[in-house]
Amino acid sequence: MGRLKQKGKAGAAKAYVTRSSAVKKLQCSLADFRRLCILKGIFPREPRSRKRANKGSSAPTSFYYAKDIAYLAHEPVLQRLRDHKAFAKKLSRALGRGEWSSAKSLEDNKPIYRLDHIIKERYPTFIDAVRDIDDALSMIFLFASLPSSSRLPLEIIQNCSRLSAEWQLYVMEKRCLRKIFLSIKGVYYQAEVMDQTVTWLIPYQFTQYIPADVDVRVMLTFLELYQTLLGFVFFKLYTDIGLVYPPPLDTEKDDGGAGIGAFSLQDANNRITAFGPRKTNTVDVDGRKVSGKDVRQTIKSIDVSSVAHDADIDMANIEEAANEVEEEFVVHPSTSDIQTSASLPTFKSLATLPTSLSTDLFSPFSFYLSRETPRVIFEFIVRSFGGRIGWPASSGSGSPFDEADDSITHVIIDRPIIERPNETLEERQRRLKRKFVQPQWIVDCINAGKILLEDMYAQGHSLPPHLSPFGEYEGAYDPSAGFTKIFPAQESSESEQDVDGHDAEGGSTGLEDVPNIAMDDPVALRAAELAAEAAGVDYGAFEEKLNKSQRKLKKPVVNSFDDGEKDMNKMMMSNRQKKLYEKMKYSQGKRENEVQSSGIFAKTAHIFLL
Amino acid sequence: MATKDYSKNNKKRKQATENISTEVPTEYANLEMLSDEEALGDDAISDDGHVDKFPGIDIKSDSEEEYSEVADDEVEDDSDEEDNEDGEDDSNFDSDDSELHVFPKPKTITSKITGQQKRVYPEIDPHYDSDSSTEDAPNRVGDIPMHWYDDLPHVGYNIDGKKILRPARGDELDKFLQTVEDPSAWTSAFDKNAQMDKPLTTEELDIIRRLYVNEVPDANYDPYEPMTEWFTGKGKEEIMPLSAAPEPKRRWIPSKWEKQKVMKIVRAIRQGHIISSKPKTTSKYSFYSIWSEPSTSHPPPLPAPKPRLPTNSESYNPPEEYLPSEAERKEWEAQDPEDRERDYLPQKYSSLRLVPAYDRFIKERFNRQLDLYLAPRVQRVKLNIDPDTLIPKLPSPNSLKPFPNYKSLVFRHIKGRVRCLSISPDGAWAVSGDEDGFVSLWEIMVGREVKRWKFEGKIGSVEWCPRSDVNYFIVGIEDAIHFLIPPNIPNSVLSLTQALLAPATLPPLPAVPSPVKWITSPSHTSIDSPILTVHLPPSSGLPNQIAWHRRGDYFATVSTNGTQGGVWIHQVTKRHSQAPFKKVKGIIQLVLFHPLQPHFFVATQQYVRIYNLSEQKILKTLVPGIKWISSMDIHPSGDHLIVGGYDRKLCWFDLDLSDKPYKVLRYHTRAIRSLHFHPTYPLFASSSDDGSIQIFHSRVFNDLMTDPLIVPLKILRGHDIREGLGVLQVRWCIRQPWLVSGGADGKATVWCS
Repeated sequence: MGRLKQKGKAGAAKAYVTRSSAVKKLQCSLADFRRLCILKGIFPREPRSRKRANKGSSAPTSFYYAKDIAYLAHEPVLQRLRDHKAFAKKLSRALGRGEWSSAKSLEDNKPIYRLDHIIKERYPTFIDAVRDIDDALSMIFLFASLPSSSRLPLEIIQNCSRLSAEWQLYVMEKRCLRKIFLSIKGVYYQAEVMDQTVTWLIPYQFTQYIPADVDVRVMLTFLELYQTLLGFVFFKLYTDIGLVYPPPLDTEKDDGGAGIGAFSLQDANNRITAFGPRKTNTVDVDGRKVSGKDVRQTIKSIDVSSVAHDADIDMANIEEAANEVEEEFVVHPSTSDIQTSASLPTFKSLATLPTSLSTDLFSPFSFYLSRETPRVIFEFIVRSFGGRIGWPASSGSGSPFDEADDSITHVIIDRPIIERPNETLEERQRRLKRKFVQPQWIVDCINAGKILLEDMYAQGHSLPPHLSPFGEYEGAYDPSAGFTKIFPAQESSESEQDVDGHDAEGGSTGLEDVPNIAMDDPVALRAAELAAEAAGVDYGAFEEKLNKSQRKLKKPVVNSFDDGEKDMNKMMMSNRQKKLYEKMKYSQGKRENEVQSSGIFAKTAHIFLL
Repeated sequence: MATKDYSKNNKKRKQATENISTEVPTEYANLEMLSDEEALGDDAISDDGHVDKFPGIDIKSDSEEEYSEVADDEVEDDSDEEDNEDGEDDSNFDSDDSELHVFPKPKTITSKITGQQKRVYPEIDPHYDSDSSTEDAPNRVGDIPMHWYDDLPHVGYNIDGKKILRPARGDELDKFLQTVEDPSAWTSAFDKNAQMDKPLTTEELDIIRRLYVNEVPDANYDPYEPMTEWFTGKGKEEIMPLSAAPEPKRRWIPSKWEKQKVMKIVRAIRQGHIISSKPKTTSKYSFYSIWSEPSTSHPPPLPAPKPRLPTNSESYNPPEEYLPSEAERKEWEAQDPEDRERDYLPQKYSSLRLVPAYDRFIKERFNRQLDLYLAPRVQRVKLNIDPDTLIPKLPSPNSLKPFPNYKSLVFRHIKGRVRCLSISPDGAWAVSGDEDGFVSLWEIMVGREVKRWKFEGKIGSVEWCPRSDVNYFIVGIEDAIHFLIPPNIPNSVLSLTQALLAPATLPPLPAVPSPVKWITSPSHTSIDSPILTVHLPPSSGLPNQIAWHRRGDYFATVSTNGTQGGVWIHQVTKRHSQAPFKKVKGIIQLVLFHPLQPHFFVATQQYVRIYNLSEQKILKTLVPGIKWISSMDIHPSGDHLIVGGYDRKLCWFDLDLSDKPYKVLRYHTRAIRSLHFHPTYPLFASSSDDGSIQIFHSRVFNDLMTDPLIVPLKILRGHDIREGLGVLQVRWCIRQPWLVSGGADGKATVWCS
């Protein structure tokens, strides 16, 4: 007979420890334990059976792996924290006794912990680290915009703003920005660094205040880790492309509000290259000096081509549209317009550009920021895509050119059109030579991967919707598909009706699609009724039509033999399989339901009909 | 205020002392003379003098100029008036004299001689008591304890030896009134010698003040008097050595040991053992190429899940259809923040400059961090498969034809549910019984009713004898089983059947009288009435099931409520019935004969027991896991059994294997009512209260390694549900893949392929 098994000696009871017992074992305060967990990336686990893990008790506690805690016990940072506790005691005693000199020497020898080993441990390879900098970037960008206070020392904020500038410099240098999304929360950026997509969020430039229900200690601990992590990551990124890290900061420029322009990238072989001028060089490399005139001509040619072909195509699904246009062109060469055909190769080449080349999207252009547009955002974006950008002095110093510069092709402006009664001739000419676009144009161009028509984004125009470049989950409502997707197979159903012998109402164009939507959605039905009424169709005809289309829609469901067969085969599934199947089907259905129930189709129908 | 003045005056006094430092000895002398008695006497005499004015502070006199003026005057005056006015001349020990006005007030007059302003003091009247030093205290008892006089009316004796009477002392109230009325009461003290209150002199008050402000009580004491040099100073140096010993060498030779010690420290510093002060870390963050050296072999921890990427609805300028309606907005606002599907409401701004700050930005960052370090993470294997691949791949029903797939004809009973039906062994006839007591014989091919019998009460079961040489069927009604011969059968068969059921010579009765009576009806030649009736024991109820043995000689009946489980096995040739079980556990639902072996299946509510009839013992108990068994059938090969239950389950048992089901199917939405294997085709059918009949392909294989193949083929719908009952019985035609079903809606339906 084997030894008797004792309770709590093996299995879940041994593999998990509760938080309070972990704190007890580590002999530190709960705050220190939390700090350690944050730094080391240790998080609670969910045991299979909470009761078994907690030795029979079902009290609500959080569990940690016992191994994790055992590793924590040997953590140097834990020792430093204990040292710090002792130091704090000594210091307060010295201060209480008025022993200033000993207090000073204590303060000089204050125990400091470093997080290098933790970074190495959590991210054994560089790729691991790059994969995980999303949150870190969002945090430092947030803290760079916070006001300093007693709880938030100035050094931290300065360090954060330095790190954020370094990151932006790197992204601009490597041209690795891919997608941008202007959301209500802030601006999302997505870059591709070392084949990893890095997404970060920067709030709009307003003063943020830390709400009372946020624990700043926790945030600062995370920030400490993130600062270290980003420092090491940036060091590696900079040195890998032969730059000196940290990039030298010109304090004079910085005081002038030059922002990222205050930093200068320095080659490892000591060649300092200010960021702005280098861009102009790349423009020059093409072989000839690119003047504003050339640039304008290029734009014009592009514009003409796109005007000629995708005037009626939705801007958002440009890629598809471009392909369609191309096909159409091959089949029916346009004869009417010679200019268009001449400029076609440009368009074609633009359309077929691989995505990697789109990082030079703005290289032919020079932008000028109007006073009300946020410089921080657009300087970064435009420069990341090779454009030149200038701004008025009120937005900060360091603008490479001023408003009177001839090379300016676009002005990014975000205010309504105003009359300019007393405008000089020169100013007027200058104004006419430039394109005035709203900021969304820049972002939409980048997300589309090509230069879009400026007309829709011209100053004072109401903007087309700004869609997320990150896409939605599969099967979600696609607004760019528009009306066509919601009411599919319009034509075929019409022809069938004709075969049925009904006289097709030739007059009521656009009404044919109505009953198809109206099936199950009362809102849509109501909208369709209204539309029918507006079109002058009497209610009887409308109802008849509705019923017919409903019948048609129901018929295929009954007739599909395959479905029935599948349903029958479902009988032969085991119970477990059946449950799994149901679960998957449920989640699928839920997702579809979400789209349906959000009433988005009804709303779309409503908007389109009215 | 007063103390402040005092401290100010202190400073002044210092100045004054400097001025008159030369007069120190005089002051000492002066103090020496101030004995207690003198002072007292002095005070007593100058009772109504200027002393009274002490508490009143003359503010004007506070100014520095005046003071210095006065001080100068005093210095001047001192020289003149020192001799005669030493008692009162205390200008240098008390800086407050300007306030005290110890002297009579001077008058300023113009000198007749010089024409200058000059101060003139009033003449001093040298009357008897003008000098306190000559005055003695009136009481001459000396320094004795005064309580000796406590009981006496006098307090001592004067210089003349006369008694000094005790002054009158009022009671406490008088004392109090005196303190209130007399403005000098607070500067007076009780004099024991005179046994009365005496006002304090100016000097005494000054001592009190000094004690109060922690000064030396003696006004004439100068703590800062210059040092008198006795041995040092010019011309007083010591020139002779104290000792004649020669000076030691160590006074001028550098120490070797000190040098060694210093060199030790120098060496330690050079070698770096001693660090002057630890180099301070300039920054907490110093960066280097951390990933250049190879990492540990530890696998990296799992990266934290990334937050979801923003969708279209988060845009500052989303398409119109994403904006929430008023109702949606209200619903969102009413929800708890934890319950919300998303943490923001879509909003549309016409231009970027109008987008405000997002107020929950920091909160959301913080929540993300809480997620990172406080939320337990579980790694879930996400099945990224098409759910349809989970559905087993089965052969298509089209390849498994023939099977019934359409309704061929319907035979209607007048009313009442068709409880039971049976098909003749040649497959041409069907007989069905309903709850009104009608038994109908009809043709399967055309559905024409040939004959109808009427019985009392419900028809519990109908079963055709499986023998082909004879042709009859039996009908189970309340407490009885009737044997009926269908009309229009060949004569040879008819005579044989009649000979079997109503033989000329009855077989001998069993020795033990049986409760079951076999009675041949007298009019057995008529086909309207049953040729033979078996009367079951009274109150045994309706025989729900009749199961024939394959030979057609034995059949078993199960009644709803009878003794011994209500099971009887009847032998037609011997006209003998027996109850196989003396005592049965549970209520017997169904019985079945094994098609090849002498085995007998008995289904109770939850178990199926298999008995060997020849050896009379139980072989096996099957556990289908059904709450209440409703139907059961055995495959023609005898190796497989299907059991259906009221809880919608169908269990397939492989009898060679376990007593647990090989397969459990649950596809009907209501209780299963009937199951039947096709005798020749690989088909079986199940019917249910949901009004549907399910046809399965069921192929069994001879080798034990291959599992039986069950393929659902077809769901037949056509029966209506009446009062919760659907299709009550299904039976296959023997030679065709046709199915006959009887339902609660009074229809018997033929389904053809």
